Amino acid sequence: MRTLRPYAEPHVTGVCLGLVLLACFALTGQGLGASGAFASVASGVVVAVSPETAVHSAYFLSYLQDGSPWTAWLVVEIIGVMVGAAASAALAGRTRHTFVRAVRPSNGRLLAGVAGGMLMGVGAALARGCTSGLALSGGTMLSVGAWVFMVALFLAGFLTAPLIRRLWP
Amino acid sequence: MNDLLIAGCIGVAFGWALESAGLGDPPKLAGQFYLRDFTVLKVMLSAMLTAMLGVFWGGRLGMLDPGALYVPETYLLPQLVGGLVFGFGFVLSGLCPGTSCVALASGRIEGAATMLGLFAGVLLVGLAFPVIDPFYHSTPHGPLTLQRLTGLPYGVVVALVTVVAVSTLAWIAKREAGR
Amino acid sequence: MRLVRRLGVGALALGLVAPFAGSPFRTQQRGLDLDAIARAIDEGSDHVSALQLAEWIRDRRPGLRVVDVRSPAEFHDDAIPTAENLPIDQLAKSRFAPDQTIVLYSQEGAHAGQAWVMLRSLGVTQAVFVPGGLADWREEVLSPLLPANGSPAERARIAELSHYFGGSPRIGGEREGEVAGAAQTGQRSRRRGC
Repeated sequence: MRTLRPYAEPHVTGVCLGLVLLACFALTGQGLGASGAFASVASGVVVAVSPETAVHSAYFLSYLQDGSPWTAWLVVEIIGVMVGAAASAALAGRTRHTFVRAVRPSNGRLLAGVAGGMLMGVGAALARGCTSGLALSGGTMLSVGAWVFMVALFLAGFLTAPLIRRLWP
Repeated sequence: MNDLLIAGCIGVAFGWALESAGLGDPPKLAGQFYLRDFTVLKVMLSAMLTAMLGVFWGGRLGMLDPGALYVPETYLLPQLVGGLVFGFGFVLSGLCPGTSCVALASGRIEGAATMLGLFAGVLLVGLAFPVIDPFYHSTPHGPLTLQRLTGLPYGVVVALVTVVAVSTLAWIAKREAGR
Repeated sequence: MRLVRRLGVGALALGLVAPFAGSPFRTQQRGLDLDAIARAIDEGSDHVSALQLAEWIRDRRPGLRVVDVRSPAEFHDDAIPTAENLPIDQLAKSRFAPDQTIVLYSQEGAHAGQAWVMLRSLGVTQAVFVPGGLADWREEVLSPLLPANGSPAERARIAELSHYFGGSPRIGGEREGEVAGAAQTGQRSRRRGC
């Protein structure tokens, strides 16, 4: 088995990430994102299952107006994220580690994951972005909304963490 | 087509960077909120600093036009509430939308669970949208920036944000060295 | 850790120098060259018709920038395809490269004309405006009246241009047919959000 490579230094990784973000701005005039990909795919599913429903929601409609929601910029980007992450994990020997040796997370932890995901889905939809799109990219451009979102995010996180201490021993 | 090629490449680089720093690991991310593991803040602040300074100085050197770059629209109330809700979700799952994909790609089933929840959450908002719409569109401020809000010049705001960010990182470093 | 420290110092340095770096937006010369402005107005080189703009957009004229000087709310409601929204107060702070062709428009043209003069005073000479604004666009491009006594070639040209933008030409006051793809009318490149 390949030896497990340690995680990269966070500050240096952050700088690299910042450069990727900068390149994104330079090449496309906008930052990157993540939650929008979920909204796009969700809109695609809704319109496929029940076009009626899609038409009645301005939210879904907005993701259906520029070509296929399945090949939206953000969706392709997120697929890239998975490819890049898979490659990095594989090269570092971390994939086999988690597949083979990983302790399967408890049902409670999985349920919390789903619940947390739901909350984040709602939060990101309301805020029009998440940590990658709004906080990072918006923060770079000094957007007030991005900073408000970020501060609120960390505030809520720090305040609610003690309440769910059992989840994260 | 060109657009999507760029999207894919940016995504690959993004995903690689996130995974290599360990941001696909829920206990690590959640650890930020117990002040056990500061990777999240370190990566976020470093990334934002780099990009912010890059945009400013890139503009100054004539290499790009900050005025033509996209600034997200500010909707104070929805973004405040959205942030609070998001933060709670973040601590519950130990992942965010981007990192949930990283987690899945490195073989963690928590990633799939969070992604499922994300879809459900977004679906919920979309389905309930006619009801939420007024709130969703409340308190709009357009593409408001800190410099427009405070009236300070762009360069001064950049300096202030830099000082705050670097100070935070220095405090974290000192705290970790103290252990 | 040494690298990290160096990065931190570097960031701090770049940040602290920023206020003294001057504007990252190219500084413009301020002042009104009244003679040049009067000449441009006389010659008519200060404006272009909506049809001309339509042709430029369709032919992807290099360096073309279509600027909507109305408020964001009006811009979101309906806009010329490929346009970007720069309300008048942001216009002064924007940067324009010398090789760009900037076409300004507003609802009916008055504000765009004023914006043109304003840009002139900032030394931006590569801008023009659409005298009739969005109203002209709708009338000349989206539902143009094909001249009854015009040559077939000319009418075809106008009709083709109109169809390109999802419009429908009128022959002698009547609509040619159903407006194809109503969603296309006034469509512009949508921000993909995050």
